Amino acid sequence: MLFFSFFKTLIDHEVTVELKNDIQIRGILKSVDQYLNIKLEDISVVEEIKYPHMSAVKSAFIRGSVVRYVHLPAAAVDIPLLEDATRREASIHAGKAK
Amino acid sequence: MAEVGHEGNSVSEPLDLVRLLLDEVVCVKLRGDRELKGRLHAYDSHCNLVLGEVEETIYVVEDEDEDDEIKTVSRKSEMLFVRGDSVVLISPQSRSY
Amino acid sequence: MPPAALGRPPQLPQLPAQMFTTAAQLLDLTDKKLMIALRDGRKLLGILRSWDQFANLVLQSTKERIFVPPGTAPNQTRGLYADIERGIFLVRGENVLLLGEIDLDRDDDPPAGYDLADVELVKSLAKQKKLEEKIKEKAKVKKLSTIGFEGEN
Repeated sequence: MLFFSFFKTLIDHEVTVELKNDIQIRGILKSVDQYLNIKLEDISVVEEIKYPHMSAVKSAFIRGSVVRYVHLPAAAVDIPLLEDATRREASIHAGKAK
Repeated sequence: MAEVGHEGNSVSEPLDLVRLLLDEVVCVKLRGDRELKGRLHAYDSHCNLVLGEVEETIYVVEDEDEDDEIKTVSRKSEMLFVRGDSVVLISPQSRSY
Repeated sequence: MPPAALGRPPQLPQLPAQMFTTAAQLLDLTDKKLMIALRDGRKLLGILRSWDQFANLVLQSTKERIFVPPGTAPNQTRGLYADIERGIFLVRGENVLLLGEIDLDRDDDPPAGYDLADVELVKSLAKQKKLEEKIKEKAKVKKLSTIGFEGEN
Protein backbone atom coordinates (compact mmCIF):
# COMPACT_ATOMS: atom_id res chain seq x y z
CA MET A 1 0.00 0.00 0.00
CA LEU A 2 3.00 2.30 0.49
CA PHE A 3 3.49 3.09 -3.17
CA PHE A 4 -0.23 3.28 -3.87
CA SER A 5 -0.43 6.01 -1.20
CA PHE A 6 2.76 7.60 -2.47
CA PHE A 7 1.44 7.89 -6.03
CA LYS A 8 -1.80 9.39 -4.73
CA THR A 9 0.25 12.29 -3.36
CA LEU A 10 1.68 12.89 -6.85
CA ILE A 11 -1.67 13.29 -8.59
CA ASP A 12 -1.81 16.33 -10.89
CA HIS A 13 1.99 16.40 -11.19
CA GLU A 14 3.81 15.82 -14.44
CA VAL A 15 5.61 12.46 -14.57
CA THR A 16 7.30 10.38 -17.23
CA VAL A 17 6.40 6.71 -17.31
CA GLU A 18 8.95 4.43 -18.94
CA LEU A 19 7.64 1.03 -20.01
CA LYS A 20 9.55 -2.23 -20.25
CA ASN A 21 9.41 -1.93 -24.05
CA ASP A 22 11.39 1.36 -23.73
CA ILE A 23 8.64 3.78 -24.72
CA GLN A 24 8.56 6.89 -22.51
CA ILE A 25 5.28 8.71 -21.99
CA ARG A 26 5.14 12.09 -20.30
CA GLY A 27 1.85 13.36 -18.92
CA ILE A 28 -0.12 14.57 -15.95
CA LEU A 29 -0.76 11.81 -13.41
CA LYS A 30 -4.51 11.63 -13.07
CA SER A 31 -5.14 8.43 -11.19
CA VAL A 32 -3.59 5.29 -9.77
CA ASP A 33 -5.03 2.08 -8.34
CA GLN A 34 -3.89 -0.69 -6.02
CA TYR A 35 -2.06 -2.53 -8.83
CA LEU A 36 -0.25 0.72 -9.63
CA ASN A 37 -2.04 0.95 -12.94
CA ILE A 38 -1.57 4.57 -13.97
CA LYS A 39 -3.67 7.03 -15.89
CA LEU A 40 -1.97 9.95 -17.62
CA GLU A 41 -3.56 12.89 -19.41
CA ASP A 42 -2.18 15.40 -21.94
CA ILE A 43 0.46 12.92 -22.94
CA SER A 44 3.47 13.32 -25.16
CA VAL A 45 5.80 10.57 -26.27
CA VAL A 46 9.58 10.81 -26.23
CA GLU A 47 11.01 9.86 -29.67
CA GLU A 48 7.58 10.06 -31.27
CA ILE A 49 8.72 8.89 -34.71
CA LYS A 50 9.51 5.48 -33.24
CA TYR A 51 6.02 5.09 -31.81
CA PRO A 52 3.56 6.21 -34.51
CA HIS A 53 0.67 4.36 -32.87
CA MET A 54 0.66 6.97 -30.10
CA SER A 55 0.20 9.95 -32.42
CA ALA A 56 -3.51 10.65 -31.85
CA VAL A 57 -3.61 9.43 -28.25
CA LYS A 58 -4.42 12.12 -25.68
CA SER A 59 -4.73 10.11 -22.46
CA ALA A 60 -3.50 6.69 -21.50
CA PHE A 61 -4.26 3.91 -19.03
CA ILE A 62 -1.02 2.06 -18.43
CA ARG A 63 -1.04 -1.39 -16.84
CA GLY A 64 1.16 -1.38 -13.75
CA SER A 65 2.87 -4.63 -14.67
CA VAL A 66 4.44 -3.16 -17.83
CA VAL A 67 6.04 -0.17 -16.10
CA ARG A 68 9.81 -0.13 -15.68
CA TYR A 69 10.26 3.34 -14.15
CA VAL A 70 8.30 6.41 -13.29
CA HIS A 71 10.46 9.53 -13.44
CA LEU A 72 9.18 11.89 -10.75
CA PRO A 73 9.55 15.60 -10.04
CA ALA A 74 11.91 15.67 -7.00
CA ALA A 75 10.28 18.85 -5.72
CA ALA A 76 6.97 17.03 -5.28
CA VAL A 77 8.46 14.33 -3.04
CA ASP A 78 8.73 14.84 0.70
CA ILE A 79 11.76 12.63 1.31
CA PRO A 80 11.76 12.45 5.16
CA LEU A 81 8.05 11.65 5.12
CA LEU A 82 8.54 8.97 2.50
CA GLU A 83 11.39 7.35 4.41
CA ASP A 84 9.38 7.37 7.63
CA ALA A 85 6.43 5.78 5.86
CA THR A 86 8.78 3.14 4.46
CA ARG A 87 10.11 2.27 7.93
CA ARG A 88 6.58 2.06 9.28
CA GLU A 89 5.48 -0.20 6.45
CA ALA A 90 8.54 -2.40 6.99
CA SER A 91 7.79 -2.81 10.68
CA ILE A 92 4.17 -3.71 9.96
CA HIS A 93 5.40 -6.42 7.61
CA ALA A 94 7.94 -7.72 10.11
CA GLY A 95 5.15 -8.03 12.68
CA LYS A 96 2.93 -9.91 10.26
CA ALA A 97 5.55 -12.36 9.15
CA LYS A 98 5.95 -13.88 12.59
CA MET B 1 12.57 -14.64 16.20
CA ALA B 2 9.79 -13.11 18.22
CA GLU B 3 12.25 -11.11 20.29
CA VAL B 4 13.55 -9.17 17.31
CA GLY B 5 12.57 -5.53 17.58
CA HIS B 6 10.92 -4.19 14.46
CA GLU B 7 12.90 -0.98 14.47
CA GLY B 8 16.14 -2.69 15.48
CA ASN B 9 19.24 -3.14 13.42
CA SER B 10 18.95 -6.91 13.19
CA VAL B 11 18.70 -8.67 9.88
CA SER B 12 16.35 -11.61 10.17
CA GLU B 13 14.97 -11.62 6.66
CA PRO B 14 16.38 -10.36 3.36
CA LEU B 15 14.43 -7.12 3.19
CA ASP B 16 15.74 -6.10 6.62
CA LEU B 17 19.03 -5.48 4.88
CA VAL B 18 17.29 -3.09 2.54
CA ARG B 19 15.79 -1.27 5.54
CA LEU B 20 19.31 -0.59 6.78
CA LEU B 21 20.12 0.96 3.41
CA LEU B 22 17.39 3.61 3.60
CA ASP B 23 18.81 7.05 2.88
CA GLU B 24 22.06 5.45 1.68
CA VAL B 25 23.46 5.23 -1.81
CA VAL B 26 22.73 1.83 -3.30
CA CYS B 27 23.39 -0.01 -6.51
CA VAL B 28 20.52 -1.86 -8.12
CA LYS B 29 20.86 -4.37 -10.91
CA LEU B 30 17.82 -4.68 -13.15
CA ARG B 31 16.47 -6.91 -15.87
CA GLY B 32 16.90 -5.47 -19.33
CA ASP B 33 20.66 -4.84 -19.08
CA ARG B 34 20.53 -1.91 -16.67
CA GLU B 35 22.08 -0.79 -13.42
CA LEU B 36 21.13 2.10 -11.19
CA LYS B 37 23.04 3.99 -8.54
CA GLY B 38 21.12 6.35 -6.30
CA ARG B 39 19.96 7.21 -2.81
CA LEU B 40 17.28 4.84 -1.52
CA HIS B 41 14.23 6.72 -0.24
CA ALA B 42 11.57 4.00 -0.22
CA TYR B 43 10.98 0.30 -0.84
CA ASP B 44 8.29 -2.29 -0.21
CA SER B 45 8.04 -6.07 -0.08
CA HIS B 46 7.82 -6.33 -3.89
CA CYS B 47 11.15 -4.50 -4.16
CA ASN B 48 9.42 -1.49 -5.65
CA LEU B 49 11.86 1.36 -4.98
CA VAL B 50 12.17 5.12 -5.02
CA LEU B 51 15.69 6.38 -5.66
CA GLY B 52 16.93 9.97 -5.70
CA GLU B 53 19.79 11.50 -7.75
CA VAL B 54 19.92 8.40 -9.89
CA GLU B 55 22.49 7.49 -12.46
CA GLU B 56 21.37 4.74 -14.80
CA THR B 57 23.80 2.67 -16.83
CA ILE B 58 22.43 0.79 -19.82
CA TYR B 59 24.51 -1.86 -21.54
CA VAL B 60 23.99 -1.82 -25.29
CA VAL B 61 25.25 -3.79 -28.24
CA GLU B 62 25.73 -1.46 -31.18
CA ASP B 63 25.78 -4.01 -33.96
CA GLU B 64 25.10 -7.66 -34.41
CA ASP B 65 28.63 -8.14 -35.78
CA GLU B 66 30.72 -10.63 -33.92
CA ASP B 67 33.55 -8.93 -32.03
CA ASP B 68 31.79 -5.65 -31.44
CA GLU B 69 32.21 -4.32 -27.93
CA ILE B 70 29.50 -3.79 -25.38
CA LYS B 71 28.95 -0.09 -24.84
CA THR B 72 27.27 1.70 -21.98
CA VAL B 73 24.88 4.61 -22.03
CA SER B 74 24.39 6.79 -18.95
CA ARG B 75 21.27 8.68 -17.99
CA LYS B 76 20.37 10.73 -14.95
CA SER B 77 17.08 11.20 -13.17
CA GLU B 78 16.37 13.38 -10.13
CA MET B 79 13.79 11.01 -8.65
CA LEU B 80 12.85 7.60 -9.92
CA PHE B 81 10.25 4.99 -9.02
CA VAL B 82 11.45 1.52 -9.99
CA ARG B 83 8.97 -1.33 -10.34
CA GLY B 84 10.02 -4.29 -8.23
CA ASP B 85 9.58 -6.99 -10.86
CA SER B 86 12.57 -5.57 -12.79
CA VAL B 87 14.88 -5.68 -9.78
CA VAL B 88 17.52 -8.41 -9.75
CA LEU B 89 19.65 -7.32 -6.79
CA ILE B 90 20.17 -4.44 -4.39
CA SER B 91 23.64 -3.82 -3.03
CA PRO B 92 25.20 -1.31 -0.66
CA GLN B 93 28.51 -1.23 -2.54
CA SER B 94 29.27 0.38 -5.81
CA ARG B 95 29.65 -2.16 -8.56
CA SER B 96 31.89 -1.98 -11.53
CA TYR B 97 32.94 -4.36 -14.23
CA MET C 1 -5.59 -4.90 5.98
CA PRO C 2 -6.27 -1.97 8.25
CA PRO C 3 -2.68 -1.55 9.56
CA ALA C 4 -1.69 -0.39 6.10
CA ALA C 5 -3.41 2.88 6.82
CA LEU C 6 -0.54 3.66 9.19
CA GLY C 7 1.92 3.61 6.33
CA ARG C 8 0.03 6.28 4.53
CA PRO C 9 1.53 9.74 4.32
CA PRO C 10 -0.75 11.97 6.39
CA GLN C 11 -1.35 14.80 3.92
CA LEU C 12 -3.88 12.95 1.77
CA PRO C 13 -5.86 15.58 -0.06
CA GLN C 14 -9.62 15.16 -0.41
CA LEU C 15 -9.60 13.47 -3.76
CA PRO C 16 -12.62 11.57 -5.01
CA ALA C 17 -12.33 7.89 -4.16
CA GLN C 18 -13.13 6.83 -7.69
CA MET C 19 -9.71 7.96 -8.87
CA PHE C 20 -8.21 4.96 -7.12
CA THR C 21 -9.81 1.83 -8.54
CA THR C 22 -9.17 0.08 -11.81
CA ALA C 23 -12.88 0.18 -12.56
CA ALA C 24 -13.03 3.94 -12.22
CA GLN C 25 -10.02 4.45 -14.44
CA LEU C 26 -11.63 2.36 -17.18
CA LEU C 27 -15.09 3.83 -16.72
CA ASP C 28 -14.02 7.08 -18.40
CA LEU C 29 -12.79 5.14 -21.41
CA THR C 30 -15.99 3.14 -21.97
CA ASP C 31 -17.64 3.60 -25.38
CA LYS C 32 -14.65 5.68 -26.53
CA LYS C 33 -12.40 4.96 -29.46
CA LEU C 34 -9.14 3.60 -28.10
CA MET C 35 -5.73 2.49 -29.21
CA ILE C 36 -4.71 -0.69 -27.41
CA ALA C 37 -1.06 -1.72 -27.39
CA LEU C 38 -0.58 -5.43 -26.66
CA ARG C 39 2.37 -7.23 -25.14
CA ASP C 40 3.28 -8.93 -28.43
CA GLY C 41 3.63 -5.51 -30.08
CA ARG C 42 0.28 -5.46 -31.87
CA LYS C 43 -1.71 -2.25 -32.01
CA LEU C 44 -5.50 -2.35 -32.07
CA LEU C 45 -7.99 0.47 -32.66
CA GLY C 46 -11.51 -0.08 -31.47
CA ILE C 47 -14.40 1.01 -29.30
CA LEU C 48 -14.28 -0.17 -25.69
CA ARG C 49 -17.62 -1.76 -24.82
CA SER C 50 -16.92 -3.81 -21.70
CA TRP C 51 -14.18 -4.50 -19.15
CA ASP C 52 -13.57 -5.82 -15.65
CA GLN C 53 -11.13 -5.31 -12.77
CA PHE C 54 -8.41 -7.34 -14.53
CA ALA C 55 -8.61 -5.01 -17.51
CA ASN C 56 -10.04 -7.81 -19.65
CA LEU C 57 -11.59 -5.87 -22.53
CA VAL C 58 -14.27 -6.24 -25.17
CA LEU C 59 -13.62 -4.14 -28.26
CA GLN C 60 -16.02 -3.43 -31.09
CA SER C 61 -15.20 -2.47 -34.70
CA THR C 62 -11.60 -3.41 -34.05
CA LYS C 63 -8.91 -2.67 -36.59
CA GLU C 64 -5.37 -3.89 -36.28
CA ARG C 65 -2.90 -1.26 -37.46
CA ILE C 66 0.52 -2.34 -38.62
CA PHE C 67 3.46 0.01 -39.05
CA VAL C 68 6.85 -0.19 -40.70
CA PRO C 69 9.42 2.48 -39.85
CA PRO C 70 11.33 4.44 -42.51
CA GLY C 71 14.27 2.57 -43.99
CA THR C 72 12.79 -0.92 -43.83
CA ALA C 73 12.82 -1.23 -47.61
CA PRO C 74 15.61 0.32 -49.73
CA ASN C 75 14.90 4.02 -50.49
CA GLN C 76 11.89 4.07 -48.23
CA THR C 77 12.19 7.51 -46.63
CA ARG C 78 8.83 7.59 -44.87
CA GLY C 79 7.10 5.15 -42.57
CA LEU C 80 4.15 3.14 -43.81
CA TYR C 81 1.01 1.87 -42.13
CA ALA C 82 -2.08 -0.15 -42.98
CA ASP C 83 -5.26 -1.30 -41.26
CA ILE C 84 -6.80 -4.76 -41.12
CA GLU C 85 -10.44 -5.13 -40.09
CA ARG C 86 -10.81 -7.51 -37.15
CA GLY C 87 -14.34 -7.06 -35.78
CA ILE C 88 -15.10 -7.94 -32.16
CA PHE C 89 -12.20 -8.82 -29.84
CA LEU C 90 -12.07 -9.97 -26.25
CA VAL C 91 -8.58 -9.20 -24.95
CA ARG C 92 -7.29 -10.83 -21.78
CA GLY C 93 -6.04 -8.14 -19.41
CA GLU C 94 -2.54 -9.43 -18.85
CA ASN C 95 -1.77 -8.94 -22.54
CA VAL C 96 -2.61 -5.25 -22.46
CA LEU C 97 0.28 -2.80 -22.25
CA LEU C 98 -1.63 0.40 -22.56
CA LEU C 99 -5.00 1.84 -23.49
CA GLY C 100 -4.96 5.22 -25.13
CA GLU C 101 -7.93 7.46 -25.73
CA ILE C 102 -7.88 8.74 -29.30
CA ASP C 103 -8.24 12.47 -29.81
CA LEU C 104 -10.96 12.45 -32.48
CA ASP C 105 -9.72 15.78 -33.87
CA ARG C 106 -6.43 14.16 -34.78
CA ASP C 107 -7.77 10.70 -35.61
CA ASP C 108 -8.02 11.23 -39.37
CA ASP C 109 -4.46 12.54 -39.75
CA PRO C 110 -1.84 9.95 -40.52
CA PRO C 111 0.90 9.70 -37.86
CA ALA C 112 3.71 12.21 -38.48
CA GLY C 113 6.19 10.81 -40.98
CA TYR C 114 3.91 7.93 -41.98
CA ASP C 115 1.75 7.26 -45.06
CA LEU C 116 -1.11 4.86 -45.62
CA ALA C 117 -0.01 2.02 -47.88
CA ASP C 118 -1.23 -1.25 -49.36
CA VAL C 119 -1.97 -3.86 -46.68
CA GLU C 120 -0.06 -6.69 -48.34
CA LEU C 121 3.00 -4.50 -48.84
CA VAL C 122 3.05 -3.35 -45.22
CA LYS C 123 2.43 -6.90 -44.01
CA SER C 124 5.41 -8.29 -45.92
CA LEU C 125 7.70 -5.44 -44.86
CA ALA C 126 6.62 -5.84 -41.24
CA LYS C 127 7.36 -9.54 -41.40
CA GLN C 128 10.82 -8.87 -42.81
CA LYS C 129 11.50 -6.24 -40.15
CA LYS C 130 10.42 -8.58 -37.37
CA LEU C 131 12.77 -11.28 -38.64
CA GLU C 132 15.72 -8.87 -38.74
CA GLU C 133 14.97 -7.71 -35.23
CA LYS C 134 14.75 -11.24 -33.92
CA ILE C 135 18.25 -11.96 -35.23
CA LYS C 136 19.60 -8.73 -33.74
CA GLU C 137 17.97 -9.45 -30.38
CA LYS C 138 19.46 -12.93 -30.29
CA ALA C 139 22.96 -11.56 -30.85
CA LYS C 140 22.41 -8.92 -28.19
CA VAL C 141 21.21 -11.38 -25.56
CA LYS C 142 24.13 -13.66 -26.30
CA LYS C 143 26.65 -10.86 -25.95
CA LEU C 144 25.20 -9.36 -22.80
CA SER C 145 24.94 -12.76 -21.13
CA THR C 146 28.75 -12.79 -21.07
CA ILE C 147 28.68 -10.00 -18.48
CA GLY C 148 25.86 -11.45 -16.46
CA PHE C 149 22.70 -9.97 -17.90
CA GLU C 150 19.65 -11.76 -19.16
CA GLY C 151 16.78 -10.54 -21.27
CA GLU C 152 13.98 -8.49 -19.81
CA ASN C 153 11.11 -10.94 -20.22
